[in-house]
Amino acid sequence: MSNITETAVEKFLEHTDSEAASFFEACVKCGQCAEACHFHLATGDPRQTPIYKLRPMERAYKRDKAPFSSLKKMLGLAPKPVTEAELKEWEELVYDSCNMCGRCTLACPMGIDIAGTIRKMREGYSAAGLVPEGLQRSAEFVKKTSSPMGVTIKALKAQIAHQEKATGIKIEVDKKGADYMCTFSSMEIMGYPEVLGAYAKLFKRAGLSWTISSVAYEATNVGVQIGSAPMAKEILERVVDAAEALNVKYVISPECGHAYGAIRWAGPNLMGRQFKFEVVHIIEVIDKLRREGRIPAGKKDDRRMTLHDPCQIIRRGGLLKEPRKLLNESCSDFVEMKYAGLSNFCCGGGGGVSANPRADELKTKAFSLKAEQLNGVEGLEAVVVPCGNCRAVFEDGFDEYELDFEVLGLSELVAGTLAGDDQKQG
Amino acid sequence: MQNQIHSFRNFLSLGILMLMFAAFVAPVAAQSVLPPGNAVNLDDGIEEGPSNALGNLSDTEIWDIFRGGNPRDILAPTIEGQVMTTTGQQWRVIREQYILKYLGWAPLIVIGILAVFYLIRGPMKIAAGRSGKTIPRFSLSARVAHWFMAAIFIILGLTGLVILLGRVVIAPYLGLEANSVLTSAALQGHNLFGPLFIFALIWLFIKFVRGNFFQWVDLKWIFKLGGFFGGHVSSRQFNFGEKIWFWMVILVGIVISITGIIMLFPSLVEDVRWLQLSTILHAVGAVGLIAVAFGHIYIGTIGMEGSIDSMLKGEVDENWAKEHHDLWYEEVTGKSATEETEAPAKEEIS
Amino acid sequence: MSFLEFVQGPMFIFAATVFVLGALWRLVGIIKIGRKKDISPPKASAAAGFIKGNLRHFWPRGIFAKRTMVHIVGGYGFHLGLFALIFFGAYHIDFLNERILGFSWPAMPRWAFLMVSGIAFAGLIILWVRRISDPVMRLISDKDDHIGSWLTFLVMLSGCFALEQAHDILRAIHMLLVNIWLLYFPFSRLMHGFTFFLSRGSSGATYGRKGIDL
Repeated sequence: MSNITETAVEKFLEHTDSEAASFFEACVKCGQCAEACHFHLATGDPRQTPIYKLRPMERAYKRDKAPFSSLKKMLGLAPKPVTEAELKEWEELVYDSCNMCGRCTLACPMGIDIAGTIRKMREGYSAAGLVPEGLQRSAEFVKKTSSPMGVTIKALKAQIAHQEKATGIKIEVDKKGADYMCTFSSMEIMGYPEVLGAYAKLFKRAGLSWTISSVAYEATNVGVQIGSAPMAKEILERVVDAAEALNVKYVISPECGHAYGAIRWAGPNLMGRQFKFEVVHIIEVIDKLRREGRIPAGKKDDRRMTLHDPCQIIRRGGLLKEPRKLLNESCSDFVEMKYAGLSNFCCGGGGGVSANPRADELKTKAFSLKAEQLNGVEGLEAVVVPCGNCRAVFEDGFDEYELDFEVLGLSELVAGTLAGDDQKQG
Repeated sequence: MQNQIHSFRNFLSLGILMLMFAAFVAPVAAQSVLPPGNAVNLDDGIEEGPSNALGNLSDTEIWDIFRGGNPRDILAPTIEGQVMTTTGQQWRVIREQYILKYLGWAPLIVIGILAVFYLIRGPMKIAAGRSGKTIPRFSLSARVAHWFMAAIFIILGLTGLVILLGRVVIAPYLGLEANSVLTSAALQGHNLFGPLFIFALIWLFIKFVRGNFFQWVDLKWIFKLGGFFGGHVSSRQFNFGEKIWFWMVILVGIVISITGIIMLFPSLVEDVRWLQLSTILHAVGAVGLIAVAFGHIYIGTIGMEGSIDSMLKGEVDENWAKEHHDLWYEEVTGKSATEETEAPAKEEIS
Repeated sequence: MSFLEFVQGPMFIFAATVFVLGALWRLVGIIKIGRKKDISPPKASAAAGFIKGNLRHFWPRGIFAKRTMVHIVGGYGFHLGLFALIFFGAYHIDFLNERILGFSWPAMPRWAFLMVSGIAFAGLIILWVRRISDPVMRLISDKDDHIGSWLTFLVMLSGCFALEQAHDILRAIHMLLVNIWLLYFPFSRLMHGFTFFLSRGSSGATYGRKGIDL
């Protein structure tokens, strides 16, 4: 057995806890998950069946860890050992063909969390060094700059200055004792810096004390995408340390899918302790402020809009109703797309796929389903996408499928439709 | 007179019941055969028959009254006052002299013809070889409907053949006891799966009726004898041979279904001759279908390269489609069936 | 001892014991693997999620069922049918009453028993024929899936063959297959009949503590 295989299998087994084991034990190979997977639906390829993507890990478990496995091995009835060739063959399925969006779980009669198990399977892959080049590059950037896109504090400060000028509101960095510390995704900082201005406007109106850390502004966690707990922990530590040093009460996770899960749900488990602050998602914060009457809604945007549900925030994050309430208050013509809510399609770029150029073609194919959904909304003008990564995928996809809708974030929409701001806004 | 016949009828039925009783009891005593779970206990109420049952009529007169009617016409309406037909005897003759003797050979003969055909002609290859590109032919639900029918057909075919031919094929070799066991099992299986055949038939009809109606191109197929002896035949989604098979399954299937229901619920018909006719039509129709089914299976598997794909994967090779269903290929793809298919692009996700 | 007495006496007791102990061993084995305690602050109850996940996945979401509606109907027909046959068939109740439990409950009438058998058979056949004719299922299925389907089918078929109750040997064959089925069960995918609640519950609990309304 080669070194690669040994490492991978060892990690597979280590990460097959009773939860993953119960999934492997319960699967009856009914193929329903294929009906939910956008990669399968877009390509028609049976290999894109979600449960198939877990096969090497399932085999390792059944051979070496499952109850009766030693008895079966003795009788020669255990499944064949996993081979290096097989692992390499599956690398694409594990990294390119899964956004860990979790839609398959909804279709599964056994309720198997394939997305969560792919996350565990990637632990084996990353430990064995079988990681796509694109993600490796992101990881290197993170090591140097904390941002997978290489966004430095200098760049961030330039964007902050720009937004201060545009909004006329001062944005304080490293303010000790602030209540809230905001984090962002690199995609937002570089691609959609209006988000910074939107936060400033909203929080100023609400009278919130907040800040941005100069060492821990990056919310994304490539360790979670690659599937390396040690790397994820290292990246997370920066944020946790900075937040605890600034003594903030809350850390705000931005409009970014996996970042929320990484710090909110995986975070304490990665660190092995609870935090001294509470993690809240920006949508939760805005919704709370709105309910408290601190940021009353004003004149509504009258364009016909729909909402994309980022998987890690809605299906796997639980923030299903909040964005809808906010959209209804900010937009007079909000319509849901087909499959909206829990069963919405992933944009195709989540789970590290958009950082992996090798998967571009597949990602674009998968986006055809999103394009179909959007085209299905009659007279659609704009789509609210509360995730920086999804937004970038949308824009790529729009080019490919020649769509012409405006894409905007939720914070910007809410900030742009505050009561009393009507004259300033177009 | 009526009264006399009536009392004779009582006597006769009592006798038959006693015979049946003896038939059931004797084997139980002798072998390990138990009475069926639903058998009636006849121990009670058996008395001596009425006296002077024959009355004052001569034997000939009595038998004439009982029989009545034209004994050759099994379908003639019941004649008032007639208590016995001779059609039972004719039915027995048809069954024993023709059906049991000859019907079973039909599937074997077909298998023989196919074997000879295979040895002489061999499998029909895709002349241009596989292109590697496929086009969808049957949807998943159509495939499931087909295989569902196939499964039910096989179960009913096997159990039906045991019921029909057990006496002549099994009993002489494995003994009466074994035949009794097998027939009991087969009969229960056949009765239980029978209704599913009707369901399968309706399902199959709904899924496959489109494209199975006569089209003018079918005439060419007929003139060229289906291309079995060389020559190219054009066809759309289904060729004439497939259409014949489809309608044979549907029409004969309907006959089998109706006659099967009659046999399963004999009280549905008042005239015993319907039952007799049913057993004959049921057997002849079913064995006929079984025989032709071998041809269908042959051409779907070893007889023709690439055919089985349509039912296992739902997709067929483009070259297969061009060679066997060229007009359908053109309808589906919008391309000409005579142009060559280029090899699939490498970067396509397979 | 006759063959029938053997298969419904000692062999059945043995098979049933292996079935119960084997299934328990496997369930305990899975649970014993254990998992790290989740220390992220929960939003809602994981225990409630465990139950909710179990209930929610009993019923499919319509949007995924389009292409495979037949499969889903077949699945229900087979599983509900088999359940009814095992626990509400008169012969089975009698057998359980006499051999194991010592008490009985009302059985289905014979016509219902036959009808349910038809539905269960149809369902099982549909499930299996999709397994051989859908590229997705062909790819992901292994021997275990086919053996499980066939063994269950043979058990049911032999039961159907013995319906006349006129031959001991037919009953004995049915019992023999039942015993083989019981012996195979704990070591195979048939275990999904017990493991499903762990699997649905695990993801249900994860979703539950995140406050996701499945």
